[in-house]
Amino acid sequence: MKNCICFIGSQLSKQRFLLAMAGAAHGSRQCALTHRYYQQWNWRRTPRGPAGLYTQQLTRRHCQHFSKELLQQESVQRYLEKMIEEYRQVTQRLNNTALTESERRTMSRRQIELSPMATVFQQSQRAVKDLKDVQAIIESAEAGEDTQMLELAKEEQKGIRKLIEALQIKLLQSLVPSDKHDASDVIVEVAAGRTTGGDICQQFTREIFEMYQNFASYKQWAFEVLNYTPAEYGGLHHAAARIAGESVYRHFKYEGGMHRVQRIPEVGLSSRMQRIHTGTMMVIVLPQPDEVDVIIEPKDLRIDTFRSKGAGGQSVNTTDSAVRLVHIPTGITVECQQERSQLQNRETAMRMLRARIYQQLIEKETEQRQSARKLQVGTRSQSERIRTYNFTQDRVTDHRISYVTRDIKEFLSGGELLEELISELLKSAETEALLELVENSRN
Amino acid sequence: MPVQYVIEEWDFRELTLKMRPPVFIPRPETEELVGLVMEELRTRGPAQDSPASLRFLEVGCGSGAVSLSLLHHCPQCHAVAVDRSSEALDLTRENAERLGVLERLQIVQLDVLLDADSVLCQCGSVDFIVSNPPYVFAEDLPLLEPEILWYEDQRSLDGGEGGMDVIKQILCIGTRALKKNGKIFLEVDPRHPLMIQEWLRSQSDHGLEYRETHRDFTGRSRFCVLQKTAPEC
Repeated sequence: MKNCICFIGSQLSKQRFLLAMAGAAHGSRQCALTHRYYQQWNWRRTPRGPAGLYTQQLTRRHCQHFSKELLQQESVQRYLEKMIEEYRQVTQRLNNTALTESERRTMSRRQIELSPMATVFQQSQRAVKDLKDVQAIIESAEAGEDTQMLELAKEEQKGIRKLIEALQIKLLQSLVPSDKHDASDVIVEVAAGRTTGGDICQQFTREIFEMYQNFASYKQWAFEVLNYTPAEYGGLHHAAARIAGESVYRHFKYEGGMHRVQRIPEVGLSSRMQRIHTGTMMVIVLPQPDEVDVIIEPKDLRIDTFRSKGAGGQSVNTTDSAVRLVHIPTGITVECQQERSQLQNRETAMRMLRARIYQQLIEKETEQRQSARKLQVGTRSQSERIRTYNFTQDRVTDHRISYVTRDIKEFLSGGELLEELISELLKSAETEALLELVENSRN
Repeated sequence: MPVQYVIEEWDFRELTLKMRPPVFIPRPETEELVGLVMEELRTRGPAQDSPASLRFLEVGCGSGAVSLSLLHHCPQCHAVAVDRSSEALDLTRENAERLGVLERLQIVQLDVLLDADSVLCQCGSVDFIVSNPPYVFAEDLPLLEPEILWYEDQRSLDGGEGGMDVIKQILCIGTRALKKNGKIFLEVDPRHPLMIQEWLRSQSDHGLEYRETHRDFTGRSRFCVLQKTAPEC
């Protein structure tokens, strides 16, 4: 017993020591109120990616919004100018009637793509001009010592400055190419990792699934359980759910990957030995395609259901409504026995099958696109962990952007903290995407 | 005892219906019958110029699964549900109330084998007829699982000598009750599609044409679609 206590004591002190070291090395600034600390973001890239921009070392504080510095950068400015120029050319050429049908189509599509950016750019130009006018008014008011005019002008100047900032952010956002699936619904699958004894993975899987359920209700999305396979002792072995709502995929796309947990379990099999256990679980996020995106021929499907001997129909009463769909060309198999109605099971299975086939298609596409982006969805290999939940130190770390947050209990309730993490991920992803776009256009 | 009777309910497509012995428990194949009709309504829907409501007749409603699914799916439809068993009709009425479609449902108790004319009086002219009639061959009846024979109403299974008794009667009713181009949707035994076509050829003046046979999810020929081509006879 005494040995146990000494052992635990040494473990805890070792952790505290490590924590202190980590804090010192990264120069953290612990904010007592919000339980978060930002790390200096050292952005060093491997030479494998596009040279030039990425090999520069950019140190910046991670801000809450797209930094104006991003817009100030030369390469971004040049890219912006290039886009504007292209828009002007395309508009000019479209007005010129001597074009073939296909050329016209491609040109008008390009114009539609570029027009939101062009509009925002024009608005910001106008705002800058307005600002100059107001400056002139202020100067003349100062010279003429007209205090009333001066005040009014200063008010307007503030308003215009704010407008310019908002427009700049909008401009940046319009430059970033949006994922074509951003607006679709998703199917989220969770699966417990393989354990070396004990059921820490299963308990953790259940907690994560509940976190996503709470998050869906927090964002007022519909959460529909497609499949729920519990493990013994109250854990969850694997489950799948469909989340429908606005821009669900945009929020969920960075949740896919391996999540790791470190805790001293209080309940379950592992709780007898009071030691830190490590477990993992997998989250897979599939965007749900529209019917037209994935066409499944009925002849490519094999449907396995309970099939009685003899004539079937009225002569048989069955409660076995489980359905298994096999897509023969790809070999993807989907099972569903969640509902009592066989038709409902079949529909659910079709939906999951469609999502999985679509996911395969997307993965093939992304493999071909060579990208050095860290946050590219799906490029992290299956065994790389994206996030660690450390219960003993009450800390959640996302490894892709080195973001740390405290208060695990609050985080697992799927509310604000999770939303903050997701928006941080989105921001750094958008920044990366933009810079990559800019870089590619240079070459 | 069948599970559906033990828990007194079961799901049919997206609905949950109450179940009670000896009323016939809906089979999974019947879900596809409803799907067929819905597909027909969908393709027909946009072509219709008048948004007037559709009326249909269901022969042998049992727990009301087919009629209620269609009423639930199509808010403009009206239905006439016919069954010879008063328990079945009570259960249909109960389920209709629970689903809130009772106003569009007319419930009639009579036996189509004995009383075809009353059916015509009650339902008038309908756009289509749908039915899952008793189609088990009389000779196959003793071979069924004991659970079915002990608890479910045999009258809802027994189709007579070739399993065709009620089916033939429905076709006769269809001749007179259907509007022009109205369709009949039937769930039958896999041997029946050919038997039905043969029987139609042997009869005259029925004005019906056999359109198609559909298979169920197990690959057996399960559903027959017929259409009335000649004007009222």
